[in-house]
Amino acid sequence: MSHRLPPLPGEWIDRSQRIEFTFEGDRLWGYAGDIITSALWASGRRTLGRSFKYHRPRGILSLANHDVNVLVQHGQQLNLRADVTPIAAGMVLSAVNTNGGVRSDRNSVLDFFSPFLPVGFYYKAFHNRRWFPFWERLIRNISGLGAVDVSTPHLRTAKRYDFCQVLVIGAGVAGLAAAIAAAEAGAEVVLVDENPRVGGSGCYQLGADDRQAEQVQALVQAVQGCDRIRVYTSTVAAGYYADHWVPLVEPDRMTKLRAKAVIMANGAYEQPAVFRNNDLPGVMLASAAQRLIYRYAVKPMQRAVVFTANRDGYRAALDLAKHGVEVRAIVELRSHLTASELTQAVTAQGMPIYLGHCLYEAQASPAQDGVAAAVVCPVAANGEPQPQFRQTIACDGIVMSVGWAPAANLLYQAGAKLRFDESLQQFVPDWLPPGIFACGRVNGVYNFQQKLQDGKRAGLAAAAFLGYAVTPTAAHSVWLGDRTESPSHPWPIIEHPAGKNFVDFDEDLQYKDFPNAIQEGFDNIELLKRFTTVGMGPSQGKHANMNALRILAKITGKTPGEVGTTTARPFFHPVPMSHLAGRGFSPERHTPLHERHAALNAKFMLAGMWRRPEYYQRPGKRREECILAEANAVRHGVGLIDVGTLGKLELHGPDAAEFLERVYTGRFRNLKVGMSRYALMLDESGVVIDDGVVARFSPEQFYFTTTTGGATAIYRELSRLNTLWQLDCGLVNLTGAQAAVNLAGPDSRAVLAKLTDLDLSGAAFPYLGVRAANVAGIPARLMRVGFVGEWGYEIHVPAESAPALWDALMAAGADWNITPFGVEAQRLLRLEKGHVIVGQDTDGLTTPREANLTWAIKMEKPFFVGQRSLQAIAQRPLKQILVGFMLDPNYTGYPPQECHLVIDGNDIAGRVTSVAYSPTLSRYIGLAYVKPELAALGTTFSIRLSDRSLVTARVSPTPFYDPDNQRQQETVLTTLQEVSI
Amino acid sequence: MKIMTCPINGPRPITEFAYGGEVRPMPDPNTVDDATWAAYIYNRNSIPGIKQEWWCHVPSNTWFIAERNTLTDEILRTYLYAEAQEGVA
Amino acid sequence: MNTPLRLSPIDAALRSLQGHWGEVNGMPTLMHRPRAAHWPVGIADLSSLTRFGVKGANAAAWLSQQGIPVPQRPNTWRSLPPGGLVARLGLTEFLIEDGLSSNVAPQLAARCQTPPARVYPVLRQDLALALVGDRTQELLRQTCSVNFQAVDVSQHPVVLTSMIGVTVTIIPTEMAGQLVYRLWCDGTFGTYFWKTLIEMATELGGGAIGVEQVPFNTASERGV
Repeated sequence: MSHRLPPLPGEWIDRSQRIEFTFEGDRLWGYAGDIITSALWASGRRTLGRSFKYHRPRGILSLANHDVNVLVQHGQQLNLRADVTPIAAGMVLSAVNTNGGVRSDRNSVLDFFSPFLPVGFYYKAFHNRRWFPFWERLIRNISGLGAVDVSTPHLRTAKRYDFCQVLVIGAGVAGLAAAIAAAEAGAEVVLVDENPRVGGSGCYQLGADDRQAEQVQALVQAVQGCDRIRVYTSTVAAGYYADHWVPLVEPDRMTKLRAKAVIMANGAYEQPAVFRNNDLPGVMLASAAQRLIYRYAVKPMQRAVVFTANRDGYRAALDLAKHGVEVRAIVELRSHLTASELTQAVTAQGMPIYLGHCLYEAQASPAQDGVAAAVVCPVAANGEPQPQFRQTIACDGIVMSVGWAPAANLLYQAGAKLRFDESLQQFVPDWLPPGIFACGRVNGVYNFQQKLQDGKRAGLAAAAFLGYAVTPTAAHSVWLGDRTESPSHPWPIIEHPAGKNFVDFDEDLQYKDFPNAIQEGFDNIELLKRFTTVGMGPSQGKHANMNALRILAKITGKTPGEVGTTTARPFFHPVPMSHLAGRGFSPERHTPLHERHAALNAKFMLAGMWRRPEYYQRPGKRREECILAEANAVRHGVGLIDVGTLGKLELHGPDAAEFLERVYTGRFRNLKVGMSRYALMLDESGVVIDDGVVARFSPEQFYFTTTTGGATAIYRELSRLNTLWQLDCGLVNLTGAQAAVNLAGPDSRAVLAKLTDLDLSGAAFPYLGVRAANVAGIPARLMRVGFVGEWGYEIHVPAESAPALWDALMAAGADWNITPFGVEAQRLLRLEKGHVIVGQDTDGLTTPREANLTWAIKMEKPFFVGQRSLQAIAQRPLKQILVGFMLDPNYTGYPPQECHLVIDGNDIAGRVTSVAYSPTLSRYIGLAYVKPELAALGTTFSIRLSDRSLVTARVSPTPFYDPDNQRQQETVLTTLQEVSI
Repeated sequence: MKIMTCPINGPRPITEFAYGGEVRPMPDPNTVDDATWAAYIYNRNSIPGIKQEWWCHVPSNTWFIAERNTLTDEILRTYLYAEAQEGVA
Repeated sequence: MNTPLRLSPIDAALRSLQGHWGEVNGMPTLMHRPRAAHWPVGIADLSSLTRFGVKGANAAAWLSQQGIPVPQRPNTWRSLPPGGLVARLGLTEFLIEDGLSSNVAPQLAARCQTPPARVYPVLRQDLALALVGDRTQELLRQTCSVNFQAVDVSQHPVVLTSMIGVTVTIIPTEMAGQLVYRLWCDGTFGTYFWKTLIEMATELGGGAIGVEQVPFNTASERGV
């Protein structure tokens, strides 16, 4: 039997489009514009879901995304909220969280065991370690929502930015009025609403009165006809972030909107009454019944009992009656009723009003899946029900209209202060930050005409705030209008000895759970929330927090204002991960030689944001073999490495040398033009933070390098110091603009000689010298550096010329078998020279003394960053010192790795910072921090591997290889030349 | 997200900026005792209130000072260090 | 060895595209892509234009002495008479870029080899792009938090901001009645920047275009 009503004006369904779908194996149909729940209800389905804990049958509660009674799964899409998801052709739906289907969920046996599952029982019941895995498996099977299909494709949806002057959140009556007022004053407005259509409650809380609907239609048309208003429907304002930054979430993307003023017209959540079996299918909020009627033309029930404590209940009764529902009773919780047009209309239609009564219990149908009757009884003066005078009224639906809670989440996030208004029985804005405005029910205004005025006031106030001329100007920012009748009852809670009167439908929390929790000591709203889990379910307390708050207040003898609310956090409704992931921009930096490396089969690694060749893959060779071959080529022939990721900075001006003296530990005033020097940088606390090489190209021009990882931060900090010191010098960051390669090995000079006229003899271009010259026709800076311990040249050229330079070097070096080498080979080569890598052989606390770098420090300088701290710690005993070590040449086991510990007896005595197999020395070598007692040359110490075995190492002098730097002397080249002849 | 106004480039999202710590004068290293120096290095003023802070607009590498109420996160004004030195800010 | 002495940061990425190549200022350049006319979003690589950067307290004075009309207000730009532009980046830094057939930048660079006091040359090796088409703002809306709709192009603004995680300089300008966005970023971010923007442009129905498809104002000026 179809529960569809004849066509209604403004209905959201399109009766010309039938859509077929499947629910729990049954083939059903609805219309385009139906949501899943309305289509199910129209076709007579009543048990639409099962509750989280007790697996009780559930139907409609709010139909507004303020509860998750109906969660369904459609293929890979899980936890779809049926109340706000449109039906689509071919949908195959099933209710989540059931064992055996929604009709006969076998887990509903838990409902019988509920006395053994009191509030917070899981905190107490599963401590036994042995049994926990059993409980965990069991609980995972009987609770949880939806089933994840791990093969679901990863979606990414692009985000975008948007801008407006006034953002109005909520296109109900007040929001529409606010948008129009702001736009007419000249502001550019964006109006958002989470529903597919605007109008809000103005389109369904009608009280069978067409005039209100017509007025709302006029507003809607005014908004649609206004150029300055952009309307975004099906769009959720998901949160409020600093400076009016609001994410707008649509089904298929997220927009980050920046507004200059925000008007909150978010409305209010209708609250359930708490009575036994208030969760049966067929018991619903009045606004849910009205939405069913006016949006989807679905008859909510045949015979209704209305449980009310405000005017909205009477409107709902009239709406029900107008559309064929027999209203058998209006149960009025208040003891007095002010006569009004509404009460008269209700009485005139013969609906009996039970004044001063409560709905004591909903009786279930024999199949336990719907309402068969409502048990009502009077309420005593002290608020207690008097069941001895009960009456039973047969019905198949109960409609609740006892109160509202403001949807103030975004107001709280914006920093608004709210206070509890006793007459309204609602929290209302008390203080709003600049640029934030509130109107409508979230502002405590419930009367239709007053909502229009309140919205207009807020719109004008926002426009005035932005500087538009507005007459009359808003006198105050918060306006509560005229209070004739409270829309919310202070205690819509009916206690019952058999319980099952639900407060939080998501979490299956009944009334008694709350006094139990409070009795256990969780008597503060934050504790109560976390112990009971009220408000922690998918609807985050929208239909539950207010009642929980009232219960806590009553039991502890406080006012709701004193009890307070918990923090409302973004997002307002769930946001798909695909929206948050967006495109996922992960910036990467490539040197201009990237394609050359790729063409040579480089294995790339990430070094910070840069892609660098770790090594070059040789056919059929393992990684270690490739690296060793590269290192050997550098030691005995010539290699070429791209070092373009180094930070490269230039300093000009008369104070350039002074600046360097202050930021580095060494002397640079006396650095000769045409020479370079190692440079060590400390922070103020004396900790090593970077190192590099400073080259002097002219008296007032220095060119210096930093580590790859340090470049950006160091340029920024040096800029700050220059701002602070105001020295006469200028700093230029050339890290990305200059490319650099290192041509290294005994044959390097011969290769370079083919490409430049520069005199490369040791006398003309000594070790550590720097020169500017053309190489292969490209203006270049050349530096003789010693990082890898062979004769070599670091060549810097503008980035655009780097490929030409590389190709020229590779061609020139062909006769010498020039070998490109990567980061791993370079690290091995520098380790053989005992060179420290800042950040690997030093950490966030390493001072120069510990790292054997005191030789680079000139304490006699007047000032350098870190100097004073070094003085302060100079007298303290060292706790550790960096030493070189070697393993036995015959060692064939697993080698130690970086961060393996040095063990002395039972104590940690240090750690390994670098380690590698040295082909030159045919054994494992490394650097490690050890206690000073173990640092003497020749001392042996133990390193503990991951499998807890110990390896013996011996302290050895560094450099391990070529300790006298013979490789930088001219003699090494002539020797090799003799050999090769 | 929060907006910070660079004195040169105007209002921008806070993600375009880097924070450089509170503006704190360095004690004279030649005369300060170790304890005072250690306090300067390791201790920070955590009392909420209006502070002068170093901020850098990263895309333009502009360092400036922001006067910010660290309790309310309200930025009262931003200005260039050099202008402040000359008393022009 | 015939490797050109100037290669664009995205030379390799462009090579995979169909189109006609030429040479501009010694750099191989994608000049024209077939069927790319009137695309809603077209992105052209203008890295081949010659460029010079300079900063310092005396940079403005020095540029004036070299005959360059210096923009008075920070973060604004001016056209150069022979073609190209000079942009004032903040207070004391300048970017000079030539048009397709002017040559001011290399001359300035040469004269700045031994720079005078408080004039600091800045080597520029940017990825330089032009965004052309009537849906360019949508692409910017996805990547940049600056509200370009509210920007008054007639004020000749220069915007220093961040796009997709990369520091970028943006100049919106009118060319042949169209709104065209000029972008510059550090060349080492070039491949990432280009690929990401092209992916978005493609989704909007556009893609890479050639230098000749950028609507420079006049053939002789070929500025900006």
